[in-house]
Amino acid sequence: MACRVMNKRRHIGLQQLSSFAQTGRTFLGPVKSSKFIIDEECHQSVFISSTVRLLESLDMTSAVGQLLNEAVQAQNSTYRTGATTLLFLAGAWSSAVEECLHLGVPISIIVSVMSEGLNSCCEEVLSLQVPVHDIFDHMDSMEAVSEFETVSVSLCPFLQDPSGASSIQEKHNLKDMAPHLSPHNLCGRPVKSLEFFKPQANIEATENTSQALKTSLRADTCFRKSVLIHSRHLNRTATSQWLQKPDRFLELCGDTTFQTYRCHDLVELATGLSHGDASSMKLVEEAVRLQHQSACMQPGNCVVPFVFDISRLFTFCLPGLPEALSCVCPGYITLVSTSSAAVVQELQSQPIRVILIQGDLTKSYRHLGFNKSTNIKTVLDSMDLQEDSSEEVWAKHVLQLLFQFSVNLVLVEGDVSEHLAEKCRHSNRLVVGSVNGRAIQALAEATGAVQVAYITQVNEDCVGSGISVTLWKNPLDAVDRSNRMAVLLKTEGINVITAVLASPVSAQMQTKEDRFWTCAYRVYHALKEEKVFLGGSAVEFLCLSHLHILAEQPLHKGDHACLGWLHDTSSWLASSLAVYRPTVLKCLASGWHKYLSVLLYNTATYSSELEASTFIQQHLQNAIDSGCPSSYILKEYNKLNSGIFNSDISNTVEHIPRVYDVLTPKIEAWRRALDLVLLVLQTDSEIITGSGHAQIKSQKLEGFLFL
Amino acid sequence: MMSCFEAQKPSLCHSDPLTAEKVRATLAVLKGILTSCYGPYGRLKQLHSGTGGSVCTTSQSTVLLRNLPVTHPILKILTASVQNHVSCFSDCGLFTAILCCNLIENVQKTELTAATTIKLNKHLLNFCTSYLRSEGCACRIPVDFSSTQTLLCLVRSILTSKPACMLTRKEVDHISALILRAFLFIIPENTEDPLILGKSIIVPLKGERVIDSALLPGVLLEMSVQLMRMLPVGKSSALKVALFSTSLSGDFSDPGEGNLVVSYGVSLEKAALDQLLDLGRQLVSDHVDLVLCQKVMHPSLKQFLGTHHIMAIDRVGVMLMEPLSKVTGAQPIGSLGPVSPSSYGSVKDWCSAKFGYKHFFHLIPKEATVCSLLLCNRNDTAWDELKLTCETALHALQLTIKEPWVLLGGGCTETHLAAYIRHMIHKEPGSIVQDDECTQAELELIADAFCRALESLAGSLEHDGGEILTDMKHGHFWSVQAGPPSVVNWPDLLSRCGCGVFSNQEGLSWSVLRSTHHPFAPEIHLPHEALGISQQSAHSLTVDCLTAKLSGLKVAVETANLILDLAYVIEDKN
Repeated sequence: MACRVMNKRRHIGLQQLSSFAQTGRTFLGPVKSSKFIIDEECHQSVFISSTVRLLESLDMTSAVGQLLNEAVQAQNSTYRTGATTLLFLAGAWSSAVEECLHLGVPISIIVSVMSEGLNSCCEEVLSLQVPVHDIFDHMDSMEAVSEFETVSVSLCPFLQDPSGASSIQEKHNLKDMAPHLSPHNLCGRPVKSLEFFKPQANIEATENTSQALKTSLRADTCFRKSVLIHSRHLNRTATSQWLQKPDRFLELCGDTTFQTYRCHDLVELATGLSHGDASSMKLVEEAVRLQHQSACMQPGNCVVPFVFDISRLFTFCLPGLPEALSCVCPGYITLVSTSSAAVVQELQSQPIRVILIQGDLTKSYRHLGFNKSTNIKTVLDSMDLQEDSSEEVWAKHVLQLLFQFSVNLVLVEGDVSEHLAEKCRHSNRLVVGSVNGRAIQALAEATGAVQVAYITQVNEDCVGSGISVTLWKNPLDAVDRSNRMAVLLKTEGINVITAVLASPVSAQMQTKEDRFWTCAYRVYHALKEEKVFLGGSAVEFLCLSHLHILAEQPLHKGDHACLGWLHDTSSWLASSLAVYRPTVLKCLASGWHKYLSVLLYNTATYSSELEASTFIQQHLQNAIDSGCPSSYILKEYNKLNSGIFNSDISNTVEHIPRVYDVLTPKIEAWRRALDLVLLVLQTDSEIITGSGHAQIKSQKLEGFLFL
Repeated sequence: MMSCFEAQKPSLCHSDPLTAEKVRATLAVLKGILTSCYGPYGRLKQLHSGTGGSVCTTSQSTVLLRNLPVTHPILKILTASVQNHVSCFSDCGLFTAILCCNLIENVQKTELTAATTIKLNKHLLNFCTSYLRSEGCACRIPVDFSSTQTLLCLVRSILTSKPACMLTRKEVDHISALILRAFLFIIPENTEDPLILGKSIIVPLKGERVIDSALLPGVLLEMSVQLMRMLPVGKSSALKVALFSTSLSGDFSDPGEGNLVVSYGVSLEKAALDQLLDLGRQLVSDHVDLVLCQKVMHPSLKQFLGTHHIMAIDRVGVMLMEPLSKVTGAQPIGSLGPVSPSSYGSVKDWCSAKFGYKHFFHLIPKEATVCSLLLCNRNDTAWDELKLTCETALHALQLTIKEPWVLLGGGCTETHLAAYIRHMIHKEPGSIVQDDECTQAELELIADAFCRALESLAGSLEHDGGEILTDMKHGHFWSVQAGPPSVVNWPDLLSRCGCGVFSNQEGLSWSVLRSTHHPFAPEIHLPHEALGISQQSAHSLTVDCLTAKLSGLKVAVETANLILDLAYVIEDKN
C-alpha cells in the first residue's frame, strides 16, 4: 500500500480543487466565453462552453479531480443546471478554507462553522423566493406576446456574447433567414456591460429607450440590444403586481414593508430563467405551450392541472444550417435513409399500422440477460442443402409476420438489420432504427401499440394505429450530406414535442443542444417547484451580506444551532468556537464575494475583477448598514421600478425581462460544492491500492509511505 | 516434449520479526493511518487505484482494512483479526486495531520476556472484562427499552463518529430516528423463543437530500417507468405471489465442456421458450397475480403473463430474495418444472411509488417484520459511508437486546478503566494476579504499558492539537485547548467530559492525562442524578455498544499477545 500525506504544509487536495475550478471561471454568468480543448496527441479539438463538457474533456485522474467530476456529474444528472456554480464555488471555497488553515483555525471548526453558515444562508434566501402560480391560466394573453417575440428571438445570436451586430441586421430582413455569426463572436471576449443594481442597463435594453437615458448609451446600440437578452439584474418592473408580502420580511424588517409579486406568466418566467440565452428559451417556451395545448385537447384533461412533462421533449439537430431554422414542432423527428423517401411518400397517403420494438431488429439479437451458449453446433441430417442463408430465412419470416398483421411501419429502439430494411422497402414498409426509448414509450401510449422485444411476439394487440409519417422538410430544403433525411412521426393530440436546433457552425451543435436542455430543465424545475428565486445574483448577494452580519453577532452560549457539525459539545473545539467563528464565516462569505466579482467581470462592465469587487464591497457596506440586507436588495429593485416609471416607456415595460433563478438546483449546487470542499479538507492522506501501488513504488516518488 | 525443472528455492526464516526496523516502521505507518481516522473529528482517507476510477473517502476500519494490501505477515495477522471482529460486531474496528498497535508498541519498550507479558496481559484483560460486566462498573449504563433516550444516543454516537457521512446536526437527528424505527420494526410482536429478528433493507437513492430518506414497511422493488405505466390501477386485494430464484430468461443451462450437437431444424431456444410458456400457463391456471424473478425473464413470457393480467417483475436481485420470501411467505422456486401450490405466497397490498428519480413497486406485507430504509445522500462516496454506518448502528442496536448495556463513550471508558487498573495495582494487586506468578515490579510495568495503551487510545480522539485531561474523581476524559497550561483556568475552559455525563460544575480537579500522576481511586458508582440530568438536558450522551467494545478489547489483547509471541516468520519463496 502506498499512502501520501496530503497536508504537510499546504493542503494539496484543496490546491488541486481550486486550480481545477479556475478552468471554469469564464463560464460563470450569462456571458460565457467558449473554449477550444486541443488534444496534442491526435490533434483533435473540441469546442466547449459549459462546465460539464469541460470536465468531460479534462484529464481528471487525480483523486480530487475524480471527486470533483463526480460531484458535477451528480448535479448535472439530477438537475441539468448549476454545474458552473458548483465548480466555481468549490474553487472559491477551497481557497477560503486554505486561508482559514493559514490563520490556524482547527479543521473541525472550519467544517462545523462553514456548514452552519451555508445552512443559515439557505434559510435566509428563502425570503427572496417568488411563487409561480397559475402560469397556464394566462395562455391566451401569451399568444399575442409570443407572436411579437418569436421572430426576434430566433434571430438572437447563438453565443451569449452580445454579438448585436448580426442581431439587429437580421431583424430588418427576417425572411432572409441567413444570420451569420461573424468569426469574432466565436472567440471574442464579450465587451458588453451589465451593471449591478443599476436601472440603466435594463432600460437601455428596451428598444424604446427614453431620450434621457440614451445619453448613456454608447454608439454601438445594437450591442445594447442584446444586453437585454441576458441581463442578470435585480430588475423588477413596475407592472408587477404587488400581491404578497412574505412573512419573512415582516418579521425581519418590521417597520419597512416590502412587497413582492407572483410570477404567473409563462413568457415572464421563461425570459427570467433564460439567463441570456433567449433563443433557446424561446424554443422551450414554445414547447411548453404546445404541450399545454395538446393536453387541453385531450378530452377531460383540462380539469387535471397541466404538468410539463420533460420526458416527452426531444431535440433534433441540424448542423450547418442557419440559426433561424430552429423551431419547435409537435411529434417526433428522426432520420431515415434517403432511399426510403419513396416509401415515406407512399405511407403519407395510407392508414398506418405500427409496431414498436425494444432492442435490435437483427437475427442475432437476444434480450438482456440471455446467455448464448457458444458450444452448440447444428448439423445437417440429410443432404438437402438450403439455398438461403439463415439471415435470409429470418428476414423472410419477419416479412411474413409484417404482412400477416399488415404492419407498414416498424420503429426500433436499437439497430436494424440492413438486409431486412432493404427487403421492407421493397414491400413499401418503413423500418426506422435508433428511435429514442422515451419516444417509443410515448408513441406506444398514443397509438395503443405494445412494445415488444422480439418481432415474433407480435400479435394483433401489439399493433398500433393513428400515427402519421411525413417527410420533415426544413425551410431551406437542405439535404443532409450523409444521405439521410428527417421524418416526422405524430399522432393526434400527442404530447411529444421535438425542438429542432440549427446552428451554422457544426462545432457548436453540442453546445446549442446543451443550452437548450439547460433552459428546458430550468423551466421544468421552476414549474415543478412552483417557485423561483429573484435572480440576477440577488440570492448570492443576500448570502454575502447575511454572512457578514452573522459574523458580527455574538455567539450565545448553548446555542446549538451554531454548532453545526460539532455534534459533540464536550470537546474543547465547542468551547473555542466563538473565537474562530467570525473568521470562518468571513472566509465563507469571501467565496460569494469572489463569485459576484467574477460574474460582474465576466459580464464586462468592469475592466478588472478588482473594480467589480470594489463595487460589490460598496453595496455590501450599504446593505449591512441598512440592517436588513433582504430589504436593501428589494429597495434596490424599487428604485429600479421608479426609474422606469419616470421615463416615458411604461408601455413597453412588460417586455423587460425580470431575472429568476431556480430554487432547489441552486441550493443543492452550493451544498454539493461545500460538501466537496469539506470532504477534501478533512482528508489527510491518499491511499493508493491495487496496481497503482506497484507503479508508484517503481517510480520511487517522494512523499509516499509503504506498507 | 521437454520438461523444465527448477530447483526449489529454500524458505526464508526470520527470527524475532518484531525487532526488525522495517516491521516497526510499517506498523507505525499502519497505526498512524488508523489513529488519524479515529473518532468524530477523525481525518478521512481517499482510497483509489492511482489510475483514475472511483475514489472512496472514508474513515471506517471496514473499508480501510479491506483495501490496504498489507504485505508483512505481522500486519496481516493484525488486519485479519480486526476484520474478523468487524464482520461479527460491525462496530469498534478502529478501537481494536489501535489498541492492538498501542499494546505491541508499549510492551516492547518494557523489555520483559514474551511469556511474562502475555500472561500478565491475559490477567489484565480478564480483570477488565469482569469489571466491565460487573454490576458495580461505573462506565456502563443500562439500556431502558421503555424510552428511546439511550438507544438514540447509541445511534447518534455511531453516526457522528463517521465524519465522511457529511451529516449536519439536523440530518443526524433524522437518520437516527429512522434507524431506531427500523430497529423497532424488525422486532416481531409475539416474543416467542427463539427470537427471530426481521430484516431491514437499505434501498439506495443517491443524489437526493439526506433529509428525504424514509422508512417504509415491506419491500421496495425498483422498476422501469414502462412497467409502472403498465400496472393496473386500483387493484388492491390480496395478491397471490410466485417467487422464482431460477432464471426465466429462456437460455439453457451450461452443457459443460465439449460441444452439443443438434440437428438442423431443431431450435433449442424455441424448446426453452415453450417450457417457459408451459410454466406461464400453470401460473395462469393457478390464479397467480404477481410473479417475481430474481434473474431475467424472457420478454415473451412477460408478454404472456401480461395478457393474463399477471404482474411480472424480474431482476429483483439475490439480496431481496430472503426478505421477499419473508414478506410473501412464498418459497423461492428453483426449477422450470411444475410448481407445487405450496410454494405460492401472498401479499396484502401493493402500490407504486416514486422517490426521487426512481420508480418503485412497494409490497406492503400483512405483518412481516421487514422494512425498507430508503437512504439518500448527495454524493456516492458519502452515500457508501452512510450506508455502512447505518448498518453498523442497526447491528449495534440488535446487540443491545442480548446485553442491554451501553458503555460510556468519548474516551471516558478508556481513561476510567486505566485509572481503575492503576488504582487496583496500587491497592490490591492480588485481585489481578496471584503473588507467585510474577513480581510486583513486572506487574507494575505491564499494567502501566496496558494503561498507557488505553489512555493513548483515548488521546487519539484529539486531532486538532488539543490537550487531554482527566479528572481525579471519576477518571473521565476531558479535552481542553492546548496552550500555556494554567491549572487555574481549567474550570472555565472545560464544559463537559467526553461522554457528557459530568459537567465542570462538580468541584473536580484535573490533571494532564499524559503526565504521570499518582493513582487515585475513581468512584465506581455512577451518580444517578448525573444520569438523570443529562438525559433531560439537550446534551446527548456519547455511548458505545458494550458487546462490540468488549469483543474489541479481547481481540486487541489476544492479537497483541499472538504477535508478541511470534518467534519466527518462515517465508516460502517459491
